[in-house]
Amino acid sequence: MKKTILGFTAVLALIATSFAFAQATGKPADFVDPGLFKNLILGFSVALSWTNLWYCFIGCFLGTLIGVLPGIGPVATIAMLLPITFNLPPIPALIMLAGIYYGASYGGSTTAILVNLPGESSSVVTCIDGYKMGQQGRAGPALAIAALGSFFAGTVGTILIALFGPPLAELAFEFGAAEYFSMMVLGLVAAVVLASGSLIKAIAMILVGLLLGLVGTDVNSGIARYSFGISELSDGIGFVSVAMGMFGFAEIVANLEAKEADRSGATISEVKSLMPTAEDIKMSIGPIIRGTAIGTIFGILPGSHTVIAAFSSYTLEKKLAKDPSRFGKGAIEGVAGPESANNAAAQTCFIPLLTLGIPTGAVMALMVGAMTIQGIAPGPQVMTQKPDLFWGMIASMWIGNGMLVLLNLPLIQIWVMFLKIPYRILFPGICLFCSIGAYSLNNSAMEVYLAAVFGIFGYFAAKWGCEPAPLLLGFVLGPLMEENLRRAMLISRGDPSVFFTRPISCGMLIVAGALLLMIVSPQLKKKREEVLTEGDGL
Amino acid sequence: MIKSKKDLYAGIMFIVIGGFFALWALNYPMGTAVRMGPAYFPTILGWLTAALGVIIMVRGFTTPDVDPNPTQWKPMLWIHGAAVIFGLLVDPLKIGFVGAVVVSVIACAYGGYEFKWKEAIIESVVLIVVCWGAFVYGLGLPFRLFPWS
Repeated sequence: MKKTILGFTAVLALIATSFAFAQATGKPADFVDPGLFKNLILGFSVALSWTNLWYCFIGCFLGTLIGVLPGIGPVATIAMLLPITFNLPPIPALIMLAGIYYGASYGGSTTAILVNLPGESSSVVTCIDGYKMGQQGRAGPALAIAALGSFFAGTVGTILIALFGPPLAELAFEFGAAEYFSMMVLGLVAAVVLASGSLIKAIAMILVGLLLGLVGTDVNSGIARYSFGISELSDGIGFVSVAMGMFGFAEIVANLEAKEADRSGATISEVKSLMPTAEDIKMSIGPIIRGTAIGTIFGILPGSHTVIAAFSSYTLEKKLAKDPSRFGKGAIEGVAGPESANNAAAQTCFIPLLTLGIPTGAVMALMVGAMTIQGIAPGPQVMTQKPDLFWGMIASMWIGNGMLVLLNLPLIQIWVMFLKIPYRILFPGICLFCSIGAYSLNNSAMEVYLAAVFGIFGYFAAKWGCEPAPLLLGFVLGPLMEENLRRAMLISRGDPSVFFTRPISCGMLIVAGALLLMIVSPQLKKKREEVLTEGDGL
Repeated sequence: MIKSKKDLYAGIMFIVIGGFFALWALNYPMGTAVRMGPAYFPTILGWLTAALGVIIMVRGFTTPDVDPNPTQWKPMLWIHGAAVIFGLLVDPLKIGFVGAVVVSVIACAYGGYEFKWKEAIIESVVLIVVCWGAFVYGLGLPFRLFPWS
């Protein structure tokens, strides 16, 4: 009973906030206007074309594959495939890249349930109860509930993007340079506050990222900064090289070091019947709804917190359970909730990207790069100038979520086969794909060397407790921040108070400051560390 | 004396990077707050990074932490070396795609554990076929396959 009430409250809260948002943007509660259906029809007509369906399928397939395989994540994969998307039109390119991202969060659960390894960091929590269920011969129902929960979460996430997108974009149209600068500050601060690991190191990594982003020709003066006479560097460091180095090469070395990704000794649970019992379904409905709500909220917050979303959902389910001791011993709620949460977060983190043009995590930073390559400036204007792209992507996400259920359930035996490939066979291939991807960026070996340099840098940075994700975020935002800072200062004639006299900008800076203060307060600091270390230790 | 090597090294790293960017910015015009020159933003960011680096370094002497895992030079050098070799062989040395893949894959595999020559050679052959099919034939990336082609 308590559970159902909580589930309903969560859903009500979501509806209320969306309503409030519609009000705040001056559009009286017409967020479900006829235009939405018109737009969705446009979206589906785009997404259902054969080409787009095909690329959506490729994206979902690759996403599931890398999700299943530990030791390679969506960041490295998207970075590898980015150069290839040069040759594609924008819509299929972005549909495919998005599919890789949310597909990975589906595939990650398979490895978690069958071999007790998180195929993706977002499914660490699923290992706890999912693997236990597998050992009890209930791997099938666990996989089924994970996939169906993810599908529900993905559907809700997609609907929310369609609902929230237009009003948020309208809000963003009011933004000037000062607001954009403050929003990026807020985004970066929020991204580190919730990120794992040391806060101060994360901030320092963002700053390094911002600095690296400035390498290359300065738009205003035409001076090639930090290029050291290397002609390739005057075009700037390619973010593909940075991502490939820090998430590809460095990651491989770390895996080899830990021998973690080697599953040769691990036993793979057998999948017999996929059908969950009526009891399973009944127990999962509540956790799925609550997990979706939690994931939705965490997804919109900067930082791409699929892990924290999954972890919060797990803790909540454990607290609500009549018999918490079942958790850790194969409780289906411990699979249903977190899996829904991480997939909901994977969907809704597209909201800030598509409406404000602000990436909230490493993958979204790469999506910004992919859009820029295609000549699309991410931001609110995407929706008005390229409605077919915006709505086509949203529709394809829903279609993709459906495809993923089919890919993950009936075809489970194929993924089990992939799981049996030992890591020592896999990593030279991954390494080679990274090299080819970096090379084909400009058909120049320079990008490969740069990727190697960033790989070495990333390896040591990670060793010393500095996560690579904040750096990539800063790297993408660096040039944007400088441009908006310059513009704001030019308009205000050099008066820095402009950031505080404009209400929206001031509000965002206050929130950013408050977040930082909060984290410095000893009580919260302790709590944050508790949550994060617990999350890491799983 | 040193309580956390992780913090100490990370701090030094940030000081070096931040300081370098800030000092190198001296080569570029600073401009004014109204019309910022190319040096303005990097100078601020650089010193900020270095300052954070100092705090992190000081923490290395005050806050205890576990030592970082020992550096594994073998995989580190071979994996990154394999990438550099690939770049070198394809571009300046013009050995062609096939040769570059073989050498790079074997070098990479050598960096891992349980290296077996037979396995590495078979793998490089498989990868040549896969990469040729996917990248050269499928996507039409302009790779020269052999030095003579």
